[in-house]
Amino acid sequence: MNAFELALPDTLAGAVSLLDPEDPTIRVMSGGTALMLMMKTDVFHPTQLISLRRIEPGYSQMGLLPDGSFRIGAMSTLSDMEHDDALAGFAPVIRQTMKLLSNVRVRNVATVGGALAHGDPHMDLPPVLVALDAQVVTISPEGERTIPVAELHAGYYETILSGNELIKEVIIPPQHARRASYLKCTTRAVKDWPALGVALTTDLDGDTARDTRLVIGAVGEKPIRVAEAEAVIDGQILSDKTIAEAADAAAESVETIEDELGSAAYKTQLVRVYVKRALQQVANQNA
Amino acid sequence: MNDQITQIRAVGQSHPRREAREKVTGRIEYIHNLRLPNMLYGKIFRSTVAHARIVSIDTSEAAACPGVDMVLTGEDIRKIMPDPHFGVMFHDQPVLALDKVRYVGEPVAIVLASDPNVAAEAVALIDVDYDELEPVFDEMEALSAETFVHDELKPGIPEIQFLKGVRDTNVGFPYQLRHGGDVDKAFEEADRVFEHTFRTHPSAHVPLEPPVTVAEPTGAGLTLHTANQSPSFVRYEISRLLGWPQHKIRVRVPYLGGGFGAKLWIRLEALVAAAALLAKRPVKVSLSMEEQFYTITKHGATLKIKSGLDKDGRITARKCEVFWNGGAYADIGPAVAFHAGMTAAGPYDIENVAIDSFSMYTNRPVAGAMRGFGHPQLIWAYENHTDMMAHELGIDPLEFRRRNILREGKEHATGTALNTSSVEKVLDRVAERLQWGKPFERGEGTVKRGRGFAIGIKASIAPSTSEAIVRLGADGSATLMCSSVDMGQGSDTAHAQIVAEVLNMPVEMVHVVHPDTDVTPYDTGTLGSRSLYHMGHAARLAAEDAKAKLEELAAEVGAQPGSNVPIWELFARKNGMPVGHVVGTASFIPDGHIPPDPMTGQSPHITPYWMLGATGAEVEIDTETGRVTVLRMINVADTGTQINPKIVDHQISGASIMQLGQTMQEKVHFDFGQVTNASFADYKIPSMLDIPQIETSVLDGAEADGPFGAKGVGETGSFCVSSAIANAVFDAVGVRVSEMPITGETVYRAMRAAAGEPLEEE
Ligand SMILES: Cc1cc2nc3c(=O)[nH]c(=O)nc-3n(C[C@H](O)[C@H](O)[C@H](O)COP(=O)(O)OP(=O)(O)OC[C@H]3O[C@@H](n4cnc5c(N)ncnc54)[C@H](O)[C@@H]3O)c2cc1C
Repeated sequence: MNAFELALPDTLAGAVSLLDPEDPTIRVMSGGTALMLMMKTDVFHPTQLISLRRIEPGYSQMGLLPDGSFRIGAMSTLSDMEHDDALAGFAPVIRQTMKLLSNVRVRNVATVGGALAHGDPHMDLPPVLVALDAQVVTISPEGERTIPVAELHAGYYETILSGNELIKEVIIPPQHARRASYLKCTTRAVKDWPALGVALTTDLDGDTARDTRLVIGAVGEKPIRVAEAEAVIDGQILSDKTIAEAADAAAESVETIEDELGSAAYKTQLVRVYVKRALQQVANQNA
Repeated sequence: MNDQITQIRAVGQSHPRREAREKVTGRIEYIHNLRLPNMLYGKIFRSTVAHARIVSIDTSEAAACPGVDMVLTGEDIRKIMPDPHFGVMFHDQPVLALDKVRYVGEPVAIVLASDPNVAAEAVALIDVDYDELEPVFDEMEALSAETFVHDELKPGIPEIQFLKGVRDTNVGFPYQLRHGGDVDKAFEEADRVFEHTFRTHPSAHVPLEPPVTVAEPTGAGLTLHTANQSPSFVRYEISRLLGWPQHKIRVRVPYLGGGFGAKLWIRLEALVAAAALLAKRPVKVSLSMEEQFYTITKHGATLKIKSGLDKDGRITARKCEVFWNGGAYADIGPAVAFHAGMTAAGPYDIENVAIDSFSMYTNRPVAGAMRGFGHPQLIWAYENHTDMMAHELGIDPLEFRRRNILREGKEHATGTALNTSSVEKVLDRVAERLQWGKPFERGEGTVKRGRGFAIGIKASIAPSTSEAIVRLGADGSATLMCSSVDMGQGSDTAHAQIVAEVLNMPVEMVHVVHPDTDVTPYDTGTLGSRSLYHMGHAARLAAEDAKAKLEELAAEVGAQPGSNVPIWELFARKNGMPVGHVVGTASFIPDGHIPPDPMTGQSPHITPYWMLGATGAEVEIDTETGRVTVLRMINVADTGTQINPKIVDHQISGASIMQLGQTMQEKVHFDFGQVTNASFADYKIPSMLDIPQIETSVLDGAEADGPFGAKGVGETGSFCVSSAIANAVFDAVGVRVSEMPITGETVYRAMRAAAGEPLEEE
């Protein structure tokens, strides 16, 4: 491992000021779980790491905002999110997801900011936050901006964040009575990075589905929202027939990529099966 | 002894593992933690190409790097080792590459520096110019390839000198066995003939402690502190390479963080020894987890098996052809071809058998010994084959095996009569535990359930030697000095129990000295489940010798036979104070071994003991994804008397979990010789969540000639897991997988193919 400098700024703004958009070898580190793996495998050689560990404590906190949405500071760990009862009441699917995500050692240090900025498609949280219609608030020398998580990822390990822009917090809008589900499929071991993640939220008004958000993670370069399948579902009762048609629509429209977790054709089959199961689960949830 | 309070028996009790507390509290000695004054760290520069002539090596930039002490290449090694090729069978592996590189990851140079990070940085500055040669990766392609990994075979040990001078072949060693009459004629006369081909993939041992060695020049000699399973061999081989007398080399081995065969023979020792002598300072090399994948693997193989049957469903003829992918250097691969080849026809009573088993050279990392020594691969083939034939013939697989099984007194294909009825017994036991023949819940909807089983046989290696010293002290304690390596299998505890039993003393009073070739005598190596039998006997005999010597001492100092003069007093009468020792020694080689005929593999006495096992598995399959969940695994083993039942249970379940990983999850992936999943992030060994309910079932009965009726059990649990699961998968969904790992995709593809709607390939 090559030598590098470690900076420990006290403020998020201070961290931003240390970044250089022209120099990708300077990066912030929050939990460090992804960065350390990249450094150990010689994929990333930093000249400077900027630890966010000492920035304002508010970025490690979360809670309901007056407008009914839920704010999660970027430095909140995945364990913080797993154990926060207010968040579990607001969006139970997050706690359910955490139980499937990695292990307690990683969750204790990995942060939501890191999970969103890392850009590895084989992650669980991004599709869930897209399905929840969450947004990130970012900060850079140009000021703050709000980006829907659905638009954050640009490709394989790529986000639309500029080189000196950091995630400040995540905002999830009120979910009201929306139902949600996340199904994870691993192919090499029970605990693994997902080969497929299916995140689903929908309004079941009576029995009719509305405003469905179906998001497929891990099979492509970034989380994929499946408008074709949503169109099959919205306005319909979640009958076996509708569910089967939606599953087929998802399998047909989602482009899967072969990797060490499975072939493209197999992943397409997984999409079909898991979309079906996610829809069945949502249909059977007690409102 | 006579001043003992009464104790529970030493042998047969689950005494706690003596090192457990020290291990879990982080106090045990591992070489990984060893730092010597003035020590240099070595980092290896490795080949990035699979097969090439080395045109030039430029180390100048690395050598000029601040903090670097030395950079060594193969030519530097020659200064101290005139012929720097090592190997337990062939002398074919260069300490550092000389004229050629033969696999991606092969050590080409080493940088020495006081700071390991400096060494690692400097390694990146080495520049090698290669003239690339055509590589060969697949064992079947290697058979007919025009490219040769080695220009000429370099046999080392006397038994294989007939291969000297053989050129232009990738066959490193051909083993053959011919049993009974004319096999081809028997096939002609057969009512039915079945032929199947199976493949197994390379997997990795991945002990949590990767290989690590420290070499320390000591005036006239050299001390190696190393994580190795065969310290006696290390001493011999390093002395051979250096041209030194053996006594100038001292090899010390404390505990190992796992071995599984990865740390046998020479791993880093030759390189680190040469580096330390050239640098005239202690040198340490500890491999990273990634480097481990390039250092040693388990053989992948292609296995062809053909059987002829009469109209009653009895197998009358069998032909096996096995091709072992041994990688670039022989290591112990030829012995895998030989030893596993011996039992390739399985535990069946077959009149006419022909076996050919070839260890092949390829441009892949070296394949060596791994728990099971080739048998899990073979059993995968012959027990799938057995079920496939039973299915075709419409005979229940249990009944089919009973018809063909090798019964006590019958001749095994090696010509050795079976001295045990355990084959029948393991089969009966696994059938009983599975409640075979009784109704079974088969699942519904998209969930299908099935069950299957397999049986397997292995001969213990022969001949081999264990020596032991037992020293009895005036304080009433005993010290066992032996070169067995406790790498987690509990040998220290079991050997101490044996000594305590002979000397009738509490197990805690037996101290075990770890391998130190200045002190502990010769042992072939900790491998092939041989220690408990061989070292167990040596320890037993040495303890008996010590006991006899104590009785002599008693007579000498005037104690009446059977009197209760305490030990300390015996010594005090002799030495004036309660001090001193008597020393018992022993050397054990099993009686009666007759080497097999080189042409036919026949021998009336081929092994000191057989190892027999069976596994039963129950699986559940998601028919929409093919995902297999193993629900229950039953491992049956013929263990002889259990010296320590808890350790036996853990060895059997541990071996089965290891094989389960290789069956369901683990595979080393290569891309043009490069390992693409060389880390635990991508090479998935089982976690607790991947492990089913496991039951161990041990046969009663002693091993006739074993120490207290015991024998080795370290590998038995690995034998049958893969084929039991494959047979259960077939039972559940009616498809046969011929390759591992048995992933959801493998099974789903097989199901789609069987349904006539194959899933598209990439
Ligand atoms: C063994 C293991 C298993 C795992 N299994 C799973 C799994 O099953 N599912 C899953 O979803 N994930 C899994 N992960 C991935 C884990 O979720 C990510 O490593 C983690 O989310 C990254 O968070 P971090 O805080 O550690 O990020 P870091 O490693 O600190 O940073 C990751 C990247 O994000 C950038 N970054 C960090 N914080 C910010 C910020 N506030 N603003 C902008 N950029 C930022 C960093 O510069 C870096 O590029 C696993 C990780 C490990 C080590």
